[in-house]
Amino acid sequence: MRLFHALFGLALAASVLAAPRPSLAAGDPDTVIALSEDDIIDWDPASAFATEIRAFHGVYQTLTHYNPPGSETPLSPELALSWSRSDDGNSWTFKLRPNVTFHDGTPMDAAAVKAALDRTIKLNRGAAYIWDGVTSIEAPSPDTVVINTSSPKPIDVIASSQNGAFIYGTRGGEVTPEWFGEGKETGTGPYAITSWTRGEQVVMDQYPGYWGGFQPDQFKRVIVKTVREGSTQLQLLRSGEADFLSVFPPTLIASTKSDPSIKVDIFPSWKNTFIMLNVKKGPTANLKFRQALTHVIDFVSALPAIYPDGVAERATTIIPVDIWGHAPQPELTYDLDEARRLIEESGVPANERKLTLAYTSALDDYQNLGLLLQSALSQVGVTLDLQPGPWTTVWDKAKHLETAPNLQLLNWWPVYATPGDWLASLFRTEDPINFNLSHYSNPEFDKAVNEGLKLEGVDREKAAEAYATAQHILYEDAVVIPIVDLKTYIAHSASIEGLTYNPAYDSIPFASLRRAKQ
Amino acid sequence: MIWGYVAKRLALLLVVVFGVLLLTFTISHMMPASPVEMMLGGRPSAAEIAKARAELGLDKPLPVQFMRYLQSVLRGDLGISMATHQPVLSDLVARSSATLDLTGLAMLVALALGIPLGVFAAVERGRAADRTLRLGSAWMGAVPQFFAGILLQMIFAGGLGWLPLQGRLDPQTLINHPMQPGSGLLLVDSLIQGNMYVFRDALLHLILPVTALSLGVLALIIRMTRSTMVEVLSQEHVMTARAMGLPPLKIYSRYALKATLIPLLTTVGLSFGYMLGGAVVIEYLFDWPGLGGYAVNAVTTSDYPAVLGVTLLLAVAYLTINLIVDLLYFAADPRVRLR
Repeated sequence: MRLFHALFGLALAASVLAAPRPSLAAGDPDTVIALSEDDIIDWDPASAFATEIRAFHGVYQTLTHYNPPGSETPLSPELALSWSRSDDGNSWTFKLRPNVTFHDGTPMDAAAVKAALDRTIKLNRGAAYIWDGVTSIEAPSPDTVVINTSSPKPIDVIASSQNGAFIYGTRGGEVTPEWFGEGKETGTGPYAITSWTRGEQVVMDQYPGYWGGFQPDQFKRVIVKTVREGSTQLQLLRSGEADFLSVFPPTLIASTKSDPSIKVDIFPSWKNTFIMLNVKKGPTANLKFRQALTHVIDFVSALPAIYPDGVAERATTIIPVDIWGHAPQPELTYDLDEARRLIEESGVPANERKLTLAYTSALDDYQNLGLLLQSALSQVGVTLDLQPGPWTTVWDKAKHLETAPNLQLLNWWPVYATPGDWLASLFRTEDPINFNLSHYSNPEFDKAVNEGLKLEGVDREKAAEAYATAQHILYEDAVVIPIVDLKTYIAHSASIEGLTYNPAYDSIPFASLRRAKQ
Repeated sequence: MIWGYVAKRLALLLVVVFGVLLLTFTISHMMPASPVEMMLGGRPSAAEIAKARAELGLDKPLPVQFMRYLQSVLRGDLGISMATHQPVLSDLVARSSATLDLTGLAMLVALALGIPLGVFAAVERGRAADRTLRLGSAWMGAVPQFFAGILLQMIFAGGLGWLPLQGRLDPQTLINHPMQPGSGLLLVDSLIQGNMYVFRDALLHLILPVTALSLGVLALIIRMTRSTMVEVLSQEHVMTARAMGLPPLKIYSRYALKATLIPLLTTVGLSFGYMLGGAVVIEYLFDWPGLGGYAVNAVTTSDYPAVLGVTLLLAVAYLTINLIVDLLYFAADPRVRLR
């Protein structure tokens, strides 16, 4: 009997260990695996405003679609086939695409669109603020939706937003954040969520009723797997167990060049990095002192070390070069003598030339920029104290003047295609402070920004002029040091074909991908 | 007598848990963090933040918040996690099985290898095998778990590609080989359901994290078993048994090993705490969807309800295990008096 037990144990162990490893997705023509450092947190399409969009853009859709830079027209139809604006700019009419169904099989008609947008606005979470100024939504016929606003707004562009504009089924008003929180969804996109294993992965399969249909070589299944560490993600990509990474420091790009199984594609993006100068605290309250700080960054020789392989371009203004409304300002020169002269001229006593720089500790490039700035400032007699920390802590401190740093390093990107996202959110007068971390208040600037926001819905060219004025005021007041316009670089398996990137949607377009034939 | 002892220990458990909660609550709320902003995500407005703070009661004085928390705990409500937006209790339930899979197997491996190796070292006392085992166990006890984990990942996953790098299962395993809902313990469930594909995949995924996690406890058990056995083997009753010509295996297993039971129970009880602590690091390293990874995330995001929930669960688990160990002392040796 003992011999039997021993033999059984040995046989079991042998069968487990000697058998080949279960098949992985590598090379699977039907499945693509993308890695994400976070699990999906907010499943509600009305409020989701973080990394959820990596999965959501295959699941949910919007009325209009914002086209990538260089396209003939800014927008193209998605769930709406056409749209028009009233003469006064206060009303927008959308004609809906016929024969579209939500993943539960119910029709996507005007009543459903109204119900979804009404719920998003009422819930008022996440990016729902994009609908501020909407007074009512009407559904006069099954294929027509009318959105009324109190003043002209670019509702056609807002309806293409990457957050807060998803059209989803409300199941007769039954859906709640808790219902979505169980990993359920009611989208219209090419992929429907079939399973969610908390903390592990989300599985999406082709939705057979998708209005756009499918090509035979499109991926039938998408898996978004949670892997926190960047180094682990890279190992999984190298071993063929994943197709896309979400965490990939730019300094590692060079190391992947010799690996034929990995490809890194670089695309234009609407993200940028800049330093906000606190205009109400310490030495940076002094204009001359702030102007001095604009001359201490060596953009030409130091920045490429922090952002290698073309993953960023030198910026001259707060609005990135690839989005409309970008108005370049004079290049900031690296001139330490000029910086010293301006510091002396500022009248700030030598013993008070001490600054603090806050930034989120999650990004290596922030740390490197901080060190670069610290070294440069020491050469002009200014001490810089680096204050890295978790974003929510850094943000909370920056909002209150007594705990705010002098300098705040930040990344930003727009929720939808508007320069107003930077100018209004970051620099327009706020009380209490939320994202105006410069604590800046200038009526002339506010007027230009408000003018731009008002004109966006009726005349984009004139809006761009107003935004250009605002950008020049920021330059004159030295409120911000634009550092770089970032590129989006995507590291992926070389067997993936058809990868495109649209800066309006910070996600991988799974439906356009396919696996190269071996 | 035993029931009185259990009642006394349970009352003590409540006091300790209260103290642990009070301490954790105070420390976590004193940390400079803004979990509400994290909970709301994205770019919440000042009004949204203020509203959420009021809804969560974070605008109330700390003692009031603590009392409210205690009341909800007594109702079985551990709050909503600010990071996952799920009830903390449901998060803990969902993740406990993964941690039990990992720590349970690691403890089994440590016991299954540690006791025979400890006995072997005692029998071979002073010889090469004993010296090797003592050196090996010293190394195993000294090497930090995270380092062992990284090393194992580099060699067996990254280098040789024999074993999975991370996770509990390959992404497609449960899609292609679905399981019926069960205890959540993958090895047990898959065996019961006869799903050998899942069993094999789960076991392969467990090998590296279990190895990294069990090294420290394995070293402890080897050394403890060896030292106890060395002492027992020189006692008169063992020498008498030898003189009577009993087979060595019978002497070791029936007469000598019994004496190691009490110190072994002590080691196992203490090691559970060590295991749970180690699981935090190992789970993070191996993307293991258990309580350890959850705890790390809760701490780094200042997710108060989750931090308190994990602390409560681990404190209760640790105290309960120690209570069971104490009761086992009594069962193992009737001479032990429970007070």
